[in-house]
Amino acid sequence: MNCIITIDIGTTKVKVSAFDEATNLIGWRQGTYPTFHPQPDYSEQDPEQIYLTVLYALKSLLNDELTKKHHPVAVVFGASMHSILPIDKHGVPLRNAVIWADNRGRDEANALKNSEEGKVIYEQTGTPLHPMSPLVKIRWFRNHTPATWFEKVYKFISIKEYIIYQLTGQLVVDQSIASSTGLFNIHSLKWDSLALDYAGIKPQHLSEPVPIDFAELKFKKEYVRLFRLSSATKVIVGASDGCFATVGAGVVTEGNATITIGSSGAMRVAGKQMIQDSQQRFFNYILTEGKYISGGPTNNGGVVFEWFVQQFGASGVHLDMEHTVKQLLIEAERVPAGAGGLLFLPYLLGERAPLWNANARGAYIGVNITHERRHFIRATVEGIIYEMFSIGKLLQQYRSIENLYINGAYATLPLFAQILSDVFGKTVYVNDKHDSASAGAALLALTHLGVFSDLEAAAQTIRSVETYQANAAHHAQYTRFAEIFDRLSYKLAEDFDALVALQG
Amino acid sequence: MNLPVQPLLPLPDFAHIRELVRLKNPTVRLNDWPVSVRGGVQIVCVLEGKFEWMVEGQRHVLYPNDVVVLCPWQGFGSPTNTLEIGSLSWIILEPELFEVHRELFLGKWSTISENDQKLMGRLLVSHAPMVLNNLKQANDLLLRIEAEVKQAEFAYQTRVNQLLDELLVTIVRHLSQQQNQRRDFPHAFEQLEQMLRDSLDHPWTVEEMATVVGSGSTAFTEKVKAYSGFSPLNYLINIRIAEAMRQLRQTSKSLTDIALDTGFYSSQHFSTTFKKLTGYTPGHFRKKAP
Repeated sequence: MNCIITIDIGTTKVKVSAFDEATNLIGWRQGTYPTFHPQPDYSEQDPEQIYLTVLYALKSLLNDELTKKHHPVAVVFGASMHSILPIDKHGVPLRNAVIWADNRGRDEANALKNSEEGKVIYEQTGTPLHPMSPLVKIRWFRNHTPATWFEKVYKFISIKEYIIYQLTGQLVVDQSIASSTGLFNIHSLKWDSLALDYAGIKPQHLSEPVPIDFAELKFKKEYVRLFRLSSATKVIVGASDGCFATVGAGVVTEGNATITIGSSGAMRVAGKQMIQDSQQRFFNYILTEGKYISGGPTNNGGVVFEWFVQQFGASGVHLDMEHTVKQLLIEAERVPAGAGGLLFLPYLLGERAPLWNANARGAYIGVNITHERRHFIRATVEGIIYEMFSIGKLLQQYRSIENLYINGAYATLPLFAQILSDVFGKTVYVNDKHDSASAGAALLALTHLGVFSDLEAAAQTIRSVETYQANAAHHAQYTRFAEIFDRLSYKLAEDFDALVALQG
Repeated sequence: MNLPVQPLLPLPDFAHIRELVRLKNPTVRLNDWPVSVRGGVQIVCVLEGKFEWMVEGQRHVLYPNDVVVLCPWQGFGSPTNTLEIGSLSWIILEPELFEVHRELFLGKWSTISENDQKLMGRLLVSHAPMVLNNLKQANDLLLRIEAEVKQAEFAYQTRVNQLLDELLVTIVRHLSQQQNQRRDFPHAFEQLEQMLRDSLDHPWTVEEMATVVGSGSTAFTEKVKAYSGFSPLNYLINIRIAEAMRQLRQTSKSLTDIALDTGFYSSQHFSTTFKKLTGYTPGHFRKKAP
């Protein structure tokens, strides 16, 4: 039997999965790697350790008894967006990779955002002007490294390009990852000259962009041997994890949206055009030619709830996170919708969409003498979801959204899923793919192999296994809270700034 | 400075104890308590009162039974030079060997095994200065040490050294248990990882790694496997080879030096492991780049 191998290079780990031709998961392996913070605002990763981890996970999965019964016909890559790694002409990294969470380019991003040039660059590239963007990071290198160092840079590539380069010796970037660099013109599908000028580089400093189903890659013979592959195994470049997660949730056409809440979160829609938002609040990435994935990312997903669990979870007992999360959610279920009027702003990590305010901070507001710990638990969950709803309301100004398809470790917890449904007033679907990004990658490979006629047909095979219906009374109530939530989020901006100054 | 202290030393039998002091302060003293580095491994217990101190640049308010543990290069004191009303006791140990990223060797007096001392040193370097809240056990042990020294009964030297060992073990255990209680394995793992990177050439065992995150080695192995996808030793090898790859391509060091620096006992062992993980021999990997 044939199988597809997907390699998803995420922020904290790589996950390597095997799927059969009906997109059923056969087996998987994962390996983690750390993020270094050598200075505040810096987030870096060691490309060699990621590469070793990919090799280890891949080798271990392909030598697994279960997988051995299957014949790998294709390998496909997904990865986090926005990483940047300078390499010299021998392909050797000149330093660690700088990942999306890195904020060193804050000043550069702010200056660009407030300029006419920035406005044009956003319209052409679809990527918000934010420190996460490689465009801004390369500009930062230009401003903060000696010219002699900058001259040594042969190319700026992403972590995914580096891994593919190590495995194949070929330097290519898929259009999906390219479209998250802030340097790629998503209308002409070429590197954007204005953005390149701003960053201070030439097209030859970047890899050749190719469509996501580009399959002219070949593993080096050492690896064909090491992985016990055949030379006929297709190696497909793939897309970004965000685009794949949308496909893997079954959403590739207009009318529906996906909501992901893992550690961070995002709401995404698919469309034939980018969303031209005058305030540049949405990202727009390319899936395939003429197909855009647009949406808004939030910093404050499950990580905020985990913060709550660590600080205020049952004390003195040695329980793991997962168990304590479940316990707290049971307590939260005993509190009626609206948490007795206790409202939480979840901006512990500043916020991206829709505020794009790095200085935003968290707040519990409306506390009265009858509130108990469980009200705070519920308010925390609701706050995370109001934040998602505020992205959703803006998205709905541009796209109609019928149903919500959710994924991620937190969104799919029953209480989160029900509150999502109630707050949005829409039906929420959970599919049987626990890992939508990997499933999306497998669907692309299967489409390329001719199992499906196109990605739309492939996405239609994703089945929902759980459905949550919105409760109208709760929806009416949540709508009123969400209005207060939005007002406070903007109204408090001045005080957030003042508090951040004091927080130092 | 003319502090109301009760120095219990020097005593010829305890060359490894630089200071053992009880301080009882009945009035606020304005210029007697500046931030300073005393040297040695210093353990300070608050017995009575409330003190506001700067501990290595961080402001802390300390209450009875709180304990501050400092490495030889770290300092503490009052931000306003003021010594508040209350009482304290502290001990300063003079290890035979202890520098940042060097091994800790307490001295022959200690019965803690050589390996455990090294591990203790690493934990102190990565966690100190430590402010341990409400660690009454440490306080009690310090009082017992004082009593032994004062009373000088039969074999009190032995008893004092045993109590010192117990004090240090208590502090280290408390430290790793605190890790465990945070319900935050990823965070504990991150700290362990940093410690591994800081001493890649050390022959780490699973037991040592488990101590760092405050759990038994069986539970530790399971947790690491579930979280990272690797067994603890395979994860360590991964870090070693990643560092070796960097050195192979960015330095001109010999293969043997790289092997030893990254914790392999021979270049043969290094080459075999490298080949197994990457598909290349180190020499081939360096030449082809990549």
